[in-house]
This record gives sequence, C-alpha cells and structure tokens, in this order.
Amino acid sequence: MTNLFEGYEPGRGPDEMFTTDGQVRPAYRGLHARMSAWDADTYVRRQDIADIETMNGGITFTVYNDESGTERIFPFSLVPRIIVPSEWRRLEAGLQQRVTALNRFLTDIYSDQHCLRDGVVPAELVLDHPAYRARMRGFTPPLGVYAHIAGIDLVRDADGVFKVLEDNLRTPSGVSYVIENRRTMLNTVPDLFPDGRVEPVDDYPERLSEMAVAVRPEGIPADQVRTVILTPGAYNSAYFEHSFLARQMGVELVEGRDLVVDNHRVYLRATSGLERVDVIYRRVDDDFLDPVEVLRDSMLGVAGLVGAYLAGNVTIVNAIGTGVADDKTTYRFVPDLIRYYLGEDAIIPNIETYTGWREDDLEFMVEHLEELVLKPSDGSGGYGIIVGPQASKETLDAARLRIREEPRKWIAQPTLEFSTIPSFNGERLEPRRADLRPFIVTGESSWVLPGGLTRVAATRESYIVNSSQGGGSKDTWILRAEPAAADGEA
Amino acid sequence: MLARTAENLYWLGRYLERAEGVARLADVNLQASTEQLAGTATDAWEAVIATLGAQEAYDAAQARAMQARSQFQMTSDVVFQQQTSAPGDPPMPPLVSPEEFLIFSTQNPISLVSTIGIARSLARETREYLSREVFEEINRLYLTTSRASAQQALPALYANVKRSVAAILGMFDNTVVLSEGREWFRVGLFLERADMTARIIDAKYFVLLPTVQDVGGPIDRYQWMAVLRSASALEAFRKEHRGPVTGPRVVSMLMFDRNFPRSLAFSVAALRRHFERATRDTPDTRVIRAAREVALIELDLRAADADNLVFRGLHEFLDEFEVRLNAIDLALQEDIFRARPDGIEANAGSEESAG
Repeated sequence: MTNLFEGYEPGRGPDEMFTTDGQVRPAYRGLHARMSAWDADTYVRRQDIADIETMNGGITFTVYNDESGTERIFPFSLVPRIIVPSEWRRLEAGLQQRVTALNRFLTDIYSDQHCLRDGVVPAELVLDHPAYRARMRGFTPPLGVYAHIAGIDLVRDADGVFKVLEDNLRTPSGVSYVIENRRTMLNTVPDLFPDGRVEPVDDYPERLSEMAVAVRPEGIPADQVRTVILTPGAYNSAYFEHSFLARQMGVELVEGRDLVVDNHRVYLRATSGLERVDVIYRRVDDDFLDPVEVLRDSMLGVAGLVGAYLAGNVTIVNAIGTGVADDKTTYRFVPDLIRYYLGEDAIIPNIETYTGWREDDLEFMVEHLEELVLKPSDGSGGYGIIVGPQASKETLDAARLRIREEPRKWIAQPTLEFSTIPSFNGERLEPRRADLRPFIVTGESSWVLPGGLTRVAATRESYIVNSSQGGGSKDTWILRAEPAAADGEA
Repeated sequence: MLARTAENLYWLGRYLERAEGVARLADVNLQASTEQLAGTATDAWEAVIATLGAQEAYDAAQARAMQARSQFQMTSDVVFQQQTSAPGDPPMPPLVSPEEFLIFSTQNPISLVSTIGIARSLARETREYLSREVFEEINRLYLTTSRASAQQALPALYANVKRSVAAILGMFDNTVVLSEGREWFRVGLFLERADMTARIIDAKYFVLLPTVQDVGGPIDRYQWMAVLRSASALEAFRKEHRGPVTGPRVVSMLMFDRNFPRSLAFSVAALRRHFERATRDTPDTRVIRAAREVALIELDLRAADADNLVFRGLHEFLDEFEVRLNAIDLALQEDIFRARPDGIEANAGSEESAG
C-alpha cells in the first residue's frame, strides 16, 4: 500500500500543510495522521461517494458546448484548508475593518464626497466610472449599508502573509458551496474531522435573514418583513445558489416577471393577488434591475423598481452602485480609505499595486515592467494580461508605450507566488495553489462566516483557481481550539 | 404563494404522474406483446401511443424518418451506381420504432425521457418548496433515465420509474410541510391521474374492441386483465370481485369505485379536496370558474354512475370528461396562475419617481 503523501514535493510557494523543511504544521497534524492511513484506493472510493452525492443533489453546472447538455459537478477535493483560531481572529478583524471602510466610502461618494475633495481617491476615477450611479447621489440606504454581502478574495503570499487579492461587492457567489462542501465532508469523510473542533458554517442563512430585517424600509415592523431573492432565472449559472439560499432562508425565489411596481411600492404576484415585498436580495446586476432606468429591454428586471427604492419603500441588497468600490483601480486606494475613514492601518494588507492614476506609481510601473504583471484595469477573465518576467523585450517596449498613452487604463502588480494545499492527482497528493473567499454579512454590524470558499487550481503548474478554468474547491476549517505547538515551535 | 411557483408545482404533479403512467402502460404492453396475445408487437406499441394522445407527434416523426430515408437512397444510388457490392453499403437510416418513440425520443414531448426531463426542470425551479429528499429522488430518477438506453432491459427501467415515483410521493407526504404549494402539487397529480385513467378506458374499449366471437373468450379476458394492469388495478379487482374479469365490471371499477385510488371517482374527489385546500385564501373572483368546473365534473361522474352508464354513450361521456378536465386546467391558468393583478397595469410605476 502506497501512502498518499509519499513523494510529496512542495511547490515554489509556501505549503499550507508542510513547512519548508518538510514538517507537518500543527494545524494539520491530526488530519495528516488520519490520511496517512489511506492509499489511493481509499481516496478514490471516498471521492466517488462525494461526487455521486453532489450529482444527486443537483449541485451541477451544464456544459453548453456539449450537445447533450451534459451536467458536471465542480471538482471537489477532500483535503481541507485548515486555519488556526489566532490567525482567523486577525483575518476576521481585518475583513470587518475593510468592509466597514468600503461602506463608508460608498456612503461618502453618494453623498458629500469628502474623500474626493480631500484627494484620497481621484474624483474622476469615481465619478466617470461606468459603475458609478449618479442617480443614487443624495440617497442613503438604511443603516448606510451598501455592501450587505461581500466576498473578499485572499491569498497567502511567499512570506506566509494573507493578503487581499480582490474585493467583490456586487453579487458575490460561492457561499452555497461552502455550506454544501461541509455537508459533503461530514457525509463522506466524518472520520477526518477532529472531534467537535471545527467552526460550523450553517449559521449563514440565519445571519442573512437577520441582516434583511435590520435593513428593512422604515415603518415595517420587524416581524413582518417580507424578503425575496431575485434571480435572473433557472438558466443562470449560479441558479443553484439562488435556489439554495431561498430554501435555507425560507423565502420566495422570484424572477423579474413575478414582481410588479405600483405607486412606488413593490408587489409579488401571488395566487391570492398582490403581496407587498420589503427587502429584495437581488442576484441580478445593476444594469438589468429596472428596464425603465437603463432604457433597455431587460426581461430580467422590474419596471419601476429603482423608483420604489429611491422612495424608500423597498431595500435592495446589495445596494445599487457598489461596483465602483470593488474595481481593480479603486483597490489600490483601499488601504488609504481605511486610514482616512477609520484612522487605522489595514489589518490585512493589499498586494502592492501600481496604477497609472498616480504619478509615482506610473514611473515605477514603466521602470520595473519586466518584474511586474500588467493588467488592463477594466478587464476580467485574464484577458490582456502581460506577465513581465515571461514577456519579450518587444512586448515590454510596446506595453510601455501603451501605458504612457493611456496610463489610467493599466494596473501592475508583482508576480505572486501564493500558497499551495495538497490535492489528489489521481495517484497521490500534490501541491495545488489555492485562494480563499470569506463572506461578510453586514446589517447592524459585520459578521464573517467562519471559513469561506477555498478555490484550488486544476493542475500543479496552474496559478488560476477559477472554476471556468477547471478549478475546484475544498472545505475550509476554522479550528475552535489552538493546536498544541510542535516540538521546537512557538 | 408566488403564482408562478404554484403553477410549476401543479405541473410537477402532472408530469410525475404522467411519467409513471407512461412507464406502466409501456410495461403492460411489453408483457402483452411478448406473449403475442395482442396482434404484432408494433400494433400493440402503436395502440399505447394512441392512448397517450401522441399519434400526431408519432406520425410526424415517422414522416421525417421516411424523408431522411428517401434522400439517403437517392444519394447512395448516385454514389454506388458502379459498385453495387453489399459490404461497403452504409446502413439505411432506420424508421422510428414506436418503442423508441415512446420511451427515449426527445422529439416526443410525452416520451418517458421527455416527461421525466420536464419534471426535473420543474423540480429545479420549485426546489425551495420541496424537501431535499424529494428533490434528490426526482433528480436521481432523471439521471438514471437520461442515461438509460434501448440496449438495457426495459422492464427494469419501467420498474425503476414506478418505484421512484412512488418513493417521491411518499417522501412528499412525509417531508414536505403542509402548505398551499403541496396542495397545488396534488391538484396536478390527481387531474393527470383522472386524465390517464379516462384515456386507458376509452382507448381499450373502442380502439381495441375485440371482434364479436372473441367476447367472453380467453383473448377477451386477457385484454381486460391487461386493462386492469395498465391501471395497477388487477389485484384490487381480485380483492373486490369474486367473479370473472369482464368488460363491464372493469369499466365500472375504473370509473366509479371510490375506494380504488386510480378510479375517476377517487381522482376527481381528491382533485376537489386539494383544490379547496389550495385556494383557501384565494379571493372568489379568482377561484369561482375553476371551482365550478371541478364541482361539475364530480357531479357528471355521479350522474353517470346513477345512470348505470357502462356501454351506452361511454365514449361520448369520456370525451366530455376530457373537455371538462381541460376547462379546469384553463381556468387555473387564466384566473389563478397567470391572472393579471387587479386594477394594476403590468408596467405601472414606470413613471419617474421622487428622489
């Protein structure tokens, strides 16, 4: 029998389970001991059970380029990411701090715009941003909360420090996988869990419901709040999650055609007639919420919804216009915003980022381009990226010219070597890069779901963890007690 | 509750019942055709297609296959003019077998595979109303039937569908909370059941009417036993009737026996009961038309029973019965599921607002 860990060679970055000299880190000792009794067959048998359960649960996506409309499941790895309580408490505080500052920033740019006048963020960057909604100026949503639900992507860098990779403040998805992954783990590998020492994750729907009550429109009694989830429909790739959250919260899942606005109030088309709706957790983008607003024929939206929102008769979660705060360029300024609004240093640092909006950044970008990764600020999905260390001299020279021409269209970051977690490759475990997306729910205060979605790359070489690139996910364990320190370790 | 979800649950009930019905009819038919008591196997399959009201779709599929065949023949005539040797000839496109059409065809909206596929889509869209157990069983049924092929033993496939639908209904009773949505599911289920039983009686009685000399003979008796099997009623019949299996007795049981769960009388009574529960909070303006149709269909059935209607005007009665079921369905769609909200234009609120 071959041990799963035999021949495990750590990658270039740090490994979550092993130290550089090959010792198992304290958090992973119990898991490592238990999994060392496994061989490849054990792993495959357990994985099969997990996959069948996921398939039967309908936790699938459809492969559209396949004629038969084959359904697939997202790859799931049975080796969890484990975080010790002391580290998690720091992350928790850092995430609360960041979301608080971002909500203050959003309140500010849609009201007095102090931060623009004080030059913390360039005014044009905000006001000319395609996601800035001038119509929302002068309207402050209940409790001043814009990003009720945030997903902040983190990675652990070469120095072992968690850093923020990206903020997601529009309609961040993935939380259903956090809850389903835990369930799958408990059903297929209950023997891997340390006894009662992992933070549960299924409190999330309850927290969502409490938040919805907290941000309800004025004049609605707390025990009479009618919340719905608005989905683009069953063909949306995140439909499973929309349906999952509706089930877990015990609220109705509606499409645009199920709602109607009359006299600036929103109603649901019920069998018994029309019923008032108070809070809408929408999973539809700003641009498709209300066809009246965008002068576009959207089948997804509800005519008059924005008017009802501005009249204060319905709360939309997340608020309209948050996209300006989770942009690649705005990201560069978030540590400054934390200092500006809260008078504190960022607990979780950013990845060093250079933007053409700042003179000093611009010079650094041009001079050090061969060491940096250059990204178009409005791009997504990896399009248009130039990796400095791998690019030819001609490419770099051309890129320098383009940066000089339109400096504001570019950002640059150092090449990032982030941490790996052991994952099964069919025969044994090998290191795969992984990120972490914790979820933060904000009503009266900010609550961080203990854990988050750990996304993992599809191959040993890959740096991309996105599911569209074949990436998978893992369960994330926040231990409830600090593990005993190893010999010779603090 | 949300009107669209109510409608989806209603159709979920209808499609699950339909899937079970198709599996049951196909199963009984497989037995009959294997024993060669009901003409050729193809005749028997085509009779089932007629019973399910899929004749037009079947003819269309057949015509398409014919066309493909003749086009193929023309091209191959040109290509193979010089060399007529058989080994190199590509196979001719097959005609659609009735069995293939009824079980696997995705072009036939009421094939077993299509029906289960639709039921599963509906379950996805109403998942927040179903329990985890119910959704997963529907999903499992979908996954196993969509992977099934004609190469495997069909009786096992039918048995799986029947068992799975029975499991779903049991789980529904025991894991889904009492709610309006649950009642709409039942309304759809019993409406479809009444429809299916009416079709079985009508089709068997008039399409497969045996020749005069066969009446009372073994073939005749076998046919009526097959009718009972089609409605899962043979064992129930044996328990309730000591005497022989005859046409009038079978028809009477399938129509009027209030104790038999697949009879018209039972289905219609259940339909009314669940409809009343589903619409407890619905204003009369929305309910009244469907309620009237439901009451009428039940009264019609009682009147037919009182009239001792078995042979006289049976076909006309069943025709009228189908019309009434369609009227109920239409009233539900127009007045409840897709009603325009009272006094509000759909696009009201589009005028500029404060703020």
